[in-house]
Amino acid sequence: MAKRKQGAGDLNRHLPALIGRRIFAAATSLAFVIVTVFAITNILPGDATDALLGQGATPQAIAAMRHDLGLDRSVFLRFWLWLWGVLHGQFGYSLLNGLPVADAIRPRLHNSLLLAGASAAVAVPVSLFLGITSAIWKDTLYDRAVSVLTLGMVSVPEFVIGTMAVYVFAVRLHVLPALADVASVHSIGQFLRAFFMPVASLALVTLAQMVRMTRAAMADTLSAPYIEMALLKGVGPARLILVHAIPNAIGPIVNAVALSLSSLLGGVVVIEVVFTYPGIAGLMVDAVSSRDVPTVQACALVFCLTYLLLTTFADIVTILSLPRGRKA
Amino acid sequence: MIALLGKLRGKHDRAVLLIVFWLFLALLGPLCSSQDPGAIGSQPVFSSPSITHLLGTDYLGRDTFARLLNGIRHTVILCFASTLIACSVGTFLGIAAVTVRPWLEAVTGRLADGFLSIPSLLFALLVIAVFGTSTVALIITMGIIYAPGAYRTSRALAQRIVRLDFVTVARARGESTAYIVLQEILPNMAGPMIADVGLRFIYSVLLLSNLSFLGIGVQPPEVDLGSMVRENMLGMVYGSPAMIVPVAVIAVLTVGINLALDSSRGKG
Amino acid sequence: MFSVLDRRAVLKGAGLLVAGVTSRSAVSAPVSGGHLRVAGAVGSASESFDPARQSMATDYIRGHLFYDGLVSLDDRLIPRPALAETLESDDFQTWHIRLRRNVRFHDGATLTAEDVVFSLLRHQIPSTGSQRYALARTMQSVRVLSALLVEVVLDAPNSDFPAILGISNFAILKAGTTNFTIANGTGPFRCQEFAPGIRTIAVKNSEFWGAPPFLDSVELIAIPDEMARHNALMSGDVELIASANPRLVQMLKKNGFGIVESPVGTYTDLSIRLDQRYGRSADFVEGMKFLLNREQIRQSVFLGFSRVGNDQPIAPESPYFNTQLPQRPYDPEKARFLLKRSGFLDETIPLVCSPAALASVDIAVVLQYAASQIGQKMAVQRVPADGYWTQYWMKEPVGFGNINPSPAASLSFEVGFASKSPWNESRWRNPQFDTLLREAKSTRDEVRKRQLYWDMQALVSAGSGVCIPNFTNSLDAHAPHVCGLRPSQAGQLMGYNFARSVWLSGSRGQEI
Repeated sequence: MAKRKQGAGDLNRHLPALIGRRIFAAATSLAFVIVTVFAITNILPGDATDALLGQGATPQAIAAMRHDLGLDRSVFLRFWLWLWGVLHGQFGYSLLNGLPVADAIRPRLHNSLLLAGASAAVAVPVSLFLGITSAIWKDTLYDRAVSVLTLGMVSVPEFVIGTMAVYVFAVRLHVLPALADVASVHSIGQFLRAFFMPVASLALVTLAQMVRMTRAAMADTLSAPYIEMALLKGVGPARLILVHAIPNAIGPIVNAVALSLSSLLGGVVVIEVVFTYPGIAGLMVDAVSSRDVPTVQACALVFCLTYLLLTTFADIVTILSLPRGRKA
Repeated sequence: MIALLGKLRGKHDRAVLLIVFWLFLALLGPLCSSQDPGAIGSQPVFSSPSITHLLGTDYLGRDTFARLLNGIRHTVILCFASTLIACSVGTFLGIAAVTVRPWLEAVTGRLADGFLSIPSLLFALLVIAVFGTSTVALIITMGIIYAPGAYRTSRALAQRIVRLDFVTVARARGESTAYIVLQEILPNMAGPMIADVGLRFIYSVLLLSNLSFLGIGVQPPEVDLGSMVRENMLGMVYGSPAMIVPVAVIAVLTVGINLALDSSRGKG
Repeated sequence: MFSVLDRRAVLKGAGLLVAGVTSRSAVSAPVSGGHLRVAGAVGSASESFDPARQSMATDYIRGHLFYDGLVSLDDRLIPRPALAETLESDDFQTWHIRLRRNVRFHDGATLTAEDVVFSLLRHQIPSTGSQRYALARTMQSVRVLSALLVEVVLDAPNSDFPAILGISNFAILKAGTTNFTIANGTGPFRCQEFAPGIRTIAVKNSEFWGAPPFLDSVELIAIPDEMARHNALMSGDVELIASANPRLVQMLKKNGFGIVESPVGTYTDLSIRLDQRYGRSADFVEGMKFLLNREQIRQSVFLGFSRVGNDQPIAPESPYFNTQLPQRPYDPEKARFLLKRSGFLDETIPLVCSPAALASVDIAVVLQYAASQIGQKMAVQRVPADGYWTQYWMKEPVGFGNINPSPAASLSFEVGFASKSPWNESRWRNPQFDTLLREAKSTRDEVRKRQLYWDMQALVSAGSGVCIPNFTNSLDAHAPHVCGLRPSQAGQLMGYNFARSVWLSGSRGQEI
């Protein structure tokens, strides 16, 4: 314990520098992502004129359209113009319908955050509880049951879970709506009805990773010598778990939680499709397939920021929780 | 990864046996059915099981049992291979990032973060555009998509381990980095890492069907289990085995492998 | 001289069959009122109200709610006057369009010739991004003659010009319109809410010039996922869906839902480039045509909801369909003989298909299996839907396409088979065909015109590299209380135009 205290002293001195370094690292990643996404979207065969003109395209019409959209300018110039706009708070206009990208993203981001937030609020506490308890009662019937159930849930494709849930609860039993119609939600009751199935499906598929990583990290910590030592010293079980075990297992747990949560925004295309939920993941898929570069870029920016926010937080927690402070 | 495998081989017969069993089924399974998985006759679609069609027919009237065996082959082989790649690369880089040089961590860390926050759809489309639709391209795509996640997990684990007393002691003894990695770090992170491998395997089974849907990879009339579920999804309302059985097989395959990995960890 | 249209209508007359099942509940008298929730099968965040850019079924539905064309196409694709009162031409080249009086746009402005000239000419400006750019270019001049009279001069005679004006892309806008976040048309509904890719809410336009619609309001959403769309119908979240799946028809009927089956001229074709590798051999092309098991495709892929095709683009219900042309059978023996003679029997033929072209993956699988039975190897290459039309379609030696119905036979021929058309899928060049087509577009003699179309069908079926195994039927499904929906050759959901005719029966009409 003396060592941990010393570590904490170190920490107070180095904390600002440490966090600064992490944030700088995150910014580097962000730059990498922006450039890469722009590059990939431009390398992909075809451009927005394909989606606009479709089967009716002629070379002449494509050339005129490309000129009109500014797609005949060099990639570098286009990137620069985009970046310049973003730095001034302008996300540009959709190449497809000419409307501001920000207007297309705003309502959908709101919807997505709502869904992700509700799912996280359900999934995180449940999975931490299940993970920690099954580590404590390792190799008991309870542990096995939790393992099999969570694995079983994640191993069924999410479109199956979602579609079957709709079929059972909306079509057969008529107790819940088939569509998660956010626009008509005006009360808590309506919210619960509309969000019950999408949130439950999302929670089920994200649960497994968090439960398993929590259980593994906790189990490892609980078998460490210092826990046995503490046990011998007569530390009570609640104190043992909360004070001795959890702080040591927190790094991997927070990492797993961060990774799971970051996928709740961009990785939920299937759930959005099954429940016809107008979120940002579907917007990104649409934009990628129509090569609507400004929209793709803006969505990528949102996903990347969310991801970095969560993982940077996880990284900082990991470092703070290391046995001897952080790396000097 | 080699050490992980070594560990498996030495002590953990159940997991190894199970993996061998699935590989065996993947290679020899398709011989068990007299039906051609691509054969389309005049049978009705989504029919119930019969003597000629043990599991009935699918959405085009093809034999579900023959297609199931074909699906197991593709799913098992492709997902085993890509999970192996993703986890080997991820673990290797994760440990390297912690043990070698700080700048390596900086570079790999930024790359991993970058890859993780770029939607996998973009990668998949890029791979199709550059390499076309081949099995190798498919395995590599899936490997790339899951390696950064494995990297993050292994790095988090390794960071914790290198600061433990026995590693410091080993360092003080003047052991080489290779020795420390193989003898001290790898064995101690094997547990949580195996949990991670198992999950990644599940994800890869599901990802495969999404990629097949996009157009990369397993080409018709060949099929993988996830795509089989997807193409027969409408059979749900008729309770068709063409949709239900592949779901069950995916569950048995992935849950089984995970439980076997868990129990082998428990013994170790 | 709207007689052009009338004569054609008389000729088509009673002999025409419009197959399909009409809604059972259609017998009761129409009731006004109610709110109808409709789900289309395609949608995206890039939707707009610009009729020129409409390219998907859900766009067409949206267009028909808010806009009108000069002409509208009825259930049998016969052009009927809409915003145009009359449409006259002596030579089929110079057309005089007289507009209906006192038609108001939703913003209150009155329809004038200026609006028509603007609406037609904007398709010729490349930056408009019109789906009908090439077709619009055939209009050499469009000018105002008087407040309600427009003159259009074509580059060549075309007796089917009225049908072209019935294409929903040529809907009439107010002159000078540039903002397409709102729809300012003359149609039976006004736009109340429009969130691209999410939903559109339309409310009845009390100043509509035509017969007022029964519905008070319509909510249009897109549910691309098949199972989700059917689930939404069965749970009562929506009351009408487009593109019902043939595999679910049985179950829907059992549960009391109505199905409307429309014989539309849509087809998914296998096109073999005649100027590339395989297609250079006439034996190969003919062999492939004999290898297509059309009946099998009809049964296994479309579950009977299609009509067998004969490698020419005129569907059986068209008055110009050549009934004397022998149906090409499935003949694997003959196919094997021809493919062997072509020298490609030992090669693996790539079949490029995509979810973008309706059912093409399944048709490719059927073909591949038939080929494997005669020792011809084929490799199905399923490629992504996005960019398919520009990156793969018409570029691959052997690949699939999907052609939407044309409002007139001459247009099907012109677009897909004329030597100079950029959409000549197989690069088939036949001067005789081009001559026949020119004559068909300018002749006044209906009997002669029919003969010309028959000859053209024979030429295409024998020579072009386009194989048309089936014409698809469109299926709509609706809740029992949705009435008045009829089959239409013009497209799904009564030629996308259901909102003008549909009503809700019983208390549903007043409720909600």
